[in-house]
Amino acid sequence: MISTLKGLNFIIPVIYLIVFLIYSYDFFSNKNAFKNSKRIFLFVTLFVHAFYLILRTLEFDHPPITTKFEIFTLLAFSISFSYFILELLTDIRGTGLFIIFFSFLFQVISSIFIEYNYVVPEVLRNRMLGLHVISAILGYSGFTLSAVYGILFLLLYKNLRSSKFGLIFNRLPSLEVLEKLSYYSVVIGFVLLTIAIIIGAIWLPSAFPNFSYLDPKLVGTSLVWIAYLIGIGSKILSKWYGKKVIIFSLIGFAFTIISLIITSTFGNTFHSFY
Amino acid sequence: MNLIGISINHRTAPINVLESLHLSREEIIEFIPKLKKEFSEGVIISTCNRTEIFCISKNQTIDANIIIQKLLEFKPVSNIRDENFTRYFSCGAIKHIFSVASGIDSLVIGDSQILGQVKEAFELSEDLDFAGTIIKRIFNTALKVGKRAIKETAIGEGAVTVSYAAVQVLEKIFANLEKKSALVIGAGETGELAAIHLKDKGIGKISISNRTLQRAEILANKVNGSVVPFESLKENIHNYDVVISATSSPDYILSKLDIQEAMKRRKGTPLVLMDIAVPRDIDPEVKNIENVFYHDMDSLKVIVDKNISKRKAEIPKVEKIIMEEMIEFFSWYNTLEVVPVIKSLREFFEEIKNDELEKIKNKVTAEDYVKIEDMTRRLIGRLLHNPTVKLRQLAESGINIEEMAAHTFIVKELFSLNKDKSNGNDINQKKEKN
Repeated sequence: MISTLKGLNFIIPVIYLIVFLIYSYDFFSNKNAFKNSKRIFLFVTLFVHAFYLILRTLEFDHPPITTKFEIFTLLAFSISFSYFILELLTDIRGTGLFIIFFSFLFQVISSIFIEYNYVVPEVLRNRMLGLHVISAILGYSGFTLSAVYGILFLLLYKNLRSSKFGLIFNRLPSLEVLEKLSYYSVVIGFVLLTIAIIIGAIWLPSAFPNFSYLDPKLVGTSLVWIAYLIGIGSKILSKWYGKKVIIFSLIGFAFTIISLIITSTFGNTFHSFY
Repeated sequence: MNLIGISINHRTAPINVLESLHLSREEIIEFIPKLKKEFSEGVIISTCNRTEIFCISKNQTIDANIIIQKLLEFKPVSNIRDENFTRYFSCGAIKHIFSVASGIDSLVIGDSQILGQVKEAFELSEDLDFAGTIIKRIFNTALKVGKRAIKETAIGEGAVTVSYAAVQVLEKIFANLEKKSALVIGAGETGELAAIHLKDKGIGKISISNRTLQRAEILANKVNGSVVPFESLKENIHNYDVVISATSSPDYILSKLDIQEAMKRRKGTPLVLMDIAVPRDIDPEVKNIENVFYHDMDSLKVIVDKNISKRKAEIPKVEKIIMEEMIEFFSWYNTLEVVPVIKSLREFFEEIKNDELEKIKNKVTAEDYVKIEDMTRRLIGRLLHNPTVKLRQLAESGINIEEMAAHTFIVKELFSLNKDKSNGNDINQKKEKN
């Protein structure tokens, strides 16, 4: 089983790279040679990756959320999976390379550093923790997707305003579509983060004797959640459009990253497992 | 092949000459009977950018000047010169017809209208009984070339007019034009073109504003739109997502302040301003207002120029299609050369068979006669199968015409075939095949 896992661990970044190159080729060449088949390549990659994650769960008897590098491979999967769902729903196929690149990056780091022999604290084997972490990761994947679409929006916005009609103009979908993709990603991310927070709020106090509501990670995540709530609320109530929505999404994402870095690196938290 | 043709087009003659020589449908109907006196088949293509006449001579005369002479007799034009006409013959004529149908010979490269015009011209010729076997084959192949060029290359892709480029930019800003509204300022030719493009793209609501109200109303009716009085133009800007301005006003119609006011009332929702007027109608300073997308002739021309370059780069691909179809056409055409020979050969064998059968008719029983007749028929069929197939193959390969001529000559000499019947150059005999 370990040898199969090691083989898959080597294969997965390679196939992510292949899928990334296929999406890039279609984007830059304008030939649409892989217009339909690239989706199949992505599906196969996700299938292999899902198989690897299940195999790892069975082998080590816990979900792959107990080390940083297990989290990274899960993050790689969830980013591409979210994109795949979005591509199926919207049939917008030209933006995959910007998303799959992040999956490739996270998977490479995971594949290099992931371990096979380590001691797992009993608390990390809990199923509630699995649900809590997976929903949080999917939530953050939604925010990442939203930020990527936000950057693409700003690029096209700038190109259109300065009358540059090059590759960005030709290959990206319209500003309204990019705005919608960014907004829907944020909403999905927000819902999943809310689920993660609810599960955490119920389960964490009973699992950790030193639990505190003032824990830096809890406070940071709550602030991120509030920031997105304000943004989504403003979009719905005040009818925000275009650039304003995108700027909100990017500020939210920057806030998320800063919050994660500060609370994970500098905060003294019970919430740090790795 | 006795196909000859003449062309006067945007490359060879100025627009006023082209206009003078343009033939309407009625004129073509009147002119074709005059051509029929000299030619057995033909087609006349006449558009605003070209007049082209292709005919097949009844005899061996290969002189395109006859067509020019007849055309000028029918429609005298004083300021025309001999060099305004290009003359074509046989293979060159076919290549030119295919180039015209594919749009690579058009003023706007890849123009999709020309294929429809070629089809219309061919259909008219058919209706007037002026399209025979060869013309039918040529023009059916030309239409195939045109369709293949559109399907297999990017010769017709991208906006190549400023008004269409403006619509292309809109599609990069808005996801669904059906939910958007547009105001076209100016009901002149450019404004009209822009309004029609917007309507074709399915814009939700369209309004026209023009100094002369009557002209605005005419255009509004044409595009199922409404009219905004020119005097209340500025107060209405905020109601539209797209404003296209194409007036001949020497001064700005819309200032930065006007647009700032409109944006306040739109609560920041994006506004697209397309200034396709020369001189400009909208103060270019508006481009600095947030969520305003302003484009003028210069910026839109960038798109047009890029698309024209892209289309030009597709020409070799179209030429390859033309070459493929020419090879196929001449393969078919060359088979026409051997058909009379094959026919004469079969007739020669049939004659011998009949002679011999006649000789034994009274010497055998009726039952045996039927058997012998059947046997001789099969015998001739088997004997002639290989020579017939070989001759057809040689003709269809179309590679070595001389080799094919040598083979048909040997066959004719070996069997002393009737030379009148087997004259491969007789166009009328070729038609008998079909």
